Amino acid sequence: MDALSALIAGFGVALKPINLMWGFIGVTLGTFIGVLPGVGPALTVAMLLPLTVKLDPTGALIMFAGIYYGAMFGGSTTTILLNTPGESASIATALEGNRMAKAGRAGPALATAALGSFVAGTLATIALTMLAPLVVELALKFGPAEYFALMVFAFTTVSAVLGASTVRGLASLFLGLLLGLVGIDSQTGQARFAFGVPELLDGVDVVVLAVGLFAVGEALYVAAYHGKVKESVEKLSGSILMSASDWKRSWPAWLRATAIGFPFGTIPAGGSEIPTFLSYSVEKKLSRHREEFGRGAIEGVAGPEAANNAAATGVLVPLLTLGIPTSATAAILLTAFQNYGLQPGPLLFDSQKDLVWGLIASLYVGNVILLVLNLPLIGIWVKVLEIPKPQLYAAILVFATLGAYSLHQSWVDLATLYVFGLLGFLMRRFDIPVGPAVIGLILGPLAETQFRRALSISQGDPSVFVTQPISATFLAITALIVVVPWLVRRFRPK
Amino acid sequence: MNRSASRSKELALSLGILALGVAAAAVTATLPGEGGYAGIGPNFIPALVSAGLVLVGGWLTYEAASGGWRGRPPHEGVFHASPFVWISAGLVTHMALIGWAGFIVAGTVLFACVARGFGSHRLPWNAALGLVLSTAMFVFFVKLLNVSLPAGWMRFLL
Repeated sequence: MDALSALIAGFGVALKPINLMWGFIGVTLGTFIGVLPGVGPALTVAMLLPLTVKLDPTGALIMFAGIYYGAMFGGSTTTILLNTPGESASIATALEGNRMAKAGRAGPALATAALGSFVAGTLATIALTMLAPLVVELALKFGPAEYFALMVFAFTTVSAVLGASTVRGLASLFLGLLLGLVGIDSQTGQARFAFGVPELLDGVDVVVLAVGLFAVGEALYVAAYHGKVKESVEKLSGSILMSASDWKRSWPAWLRATAIGFPFGTIPAGGSEIPTFLSYSVEKKLSRHREEFGRGAIEGVAGPEAANNAAATGVLVPLLTLGIPTSATAAILLTAFQNYGLQPGPLLFDSQKDLVWGLIASLYVGNVILLVLNLPLIGIWVKVLEIPKPQLYAAILVFATLGAYSLHQSWVDLATLYVFGLLGFLMRRFDIPVGPAVIGLILGPLAETQFRRALSISQGDPSVFVTQPISATFLAITALIVVVPWLVRRFRPK
Repeated sequence: MNRSASRSKELALSLGILALGVAAAAVTATLPGEGGYAGIGPNFIPALVSAGLVLVGGWLTYEAASGGWRGRPPHEGVFHASPFVWISAGLVTHMALIGWAGFIVAGTVLFACVARGFGSHRLPWNAALGLVLSTAMFVFFVKLLNVSLPAGWMRFLL
């Protein structure tokens, strides 16, 4: 089997001592930053991006795989001990995990989260290993029209279908698309929306947008609206070991959650939010201890945490094989590739075999590192949670400005960062999701390139998008997922 | 917060998005349109995006004017201006300082301002913490990672 030999070669890359070290550093840093309250995986990856500018691409991407997983685990620790979910995917965990911690069972809650993440992450990586070559095979048949249709599909699901309001999701998306237009047009060299500012000719950097929205906007919002609220960190008392009954109740939840999370991750459904909630309600329905739900049921932590990690791994399938990010975090990972002049997609599996398979192998390694590193170090992560808020946010913002400033050594990027911070504040205040803006910014220019390429090939005939079967199918599915829910709402008997 | 105050803010924001769309369309009108084989130029997608913004802005305006944006939970928080101003002042001072006073000085000021914004009144302590943190970051990034950052007044560290 071709994939197997490629994977073995990949392990050769991932297990090189230097790459193993980057993996360790990535997992540790990712967990450390991810534990910080209010810092989700997307912000963690964005803030740590400047660390890798001088590394070789393989080492850097292996480090990012570690950061990605570490951030996810760090976030769940915070959720369980602090009950302030940093991101929507953690809300389901917060329902049960924090209650377990309040009942003095923080240890087993953290343990089932860590073990569940490991099991789900590993199984999902196996699924990724088997699925990726198949998708690559399919993707090689894609032309510009197919890519464009696929991107329209992704845009629609992440902005219009998910979330509380279609129109607010679209507002965020179009904002991102507009920002994506800033800079030199890659096809003609025409400057657009740059207003003669040299720093803008390079375009708006995804890291500046993400850090502005997530870090600066969040800091402004938290300080202005509930800066004085005291949060209590739950004590980590007693054993972190799970009892026999904890095990018995956890493992089926892990497996079910993996089966739910991975497929949801691979389709453009906005990452982990849906599968974690789905897993939560499945566990609630199947549990023999239903009365414990709402008061700290271990299945309610085991399931969503595993689903979260499985979905996070699933997200890497469209990212690596098609170059399409379907979550804000994936959009920032895509920037990490682009910083090295690499464009993920089927061709990368051919031209950068070592890098891609080294990265996939490092996902297996990263899961192991996560497990051996995090459970023993849990005491340290708990300490991190006790950093007082004023100093914590101060440190986050100093770090955030460093990343923006190091782009061009110019204050213009800092001004942009602040503007995005104000934007993030407003969006947070008025319930406008920020994810679609980040995805629109990075995916918009790619979609435009494919669109114009498709029209160049067809000599300007726009019917290519509907006459080619694959492209037509994607567009039809897109139309269906928009129209059907609307029709259902409209004609549902009252 | 009462509903009508919240609605008028939503209305203002909706009109802002609408205005952004119109402004984007105005800029798009200055872009060239010829596009070789594709038949569309660098102004085509900007036109589409501007139209999208206008449409979304209009839709939000309609929602705000007819009972408020849909599907929003009531917002209970009270806006405190002082933390907002402290953090903003920190960021603006930081961007003014960084080029000539250097990363460490600017970072220290930013750290102190943000901590003050979050309600910590121990200024000397926060300034000291900020100084230690930005110096550590500066040394780490410049010496270990070879990222260039402005030294400014702290050139003696190099």
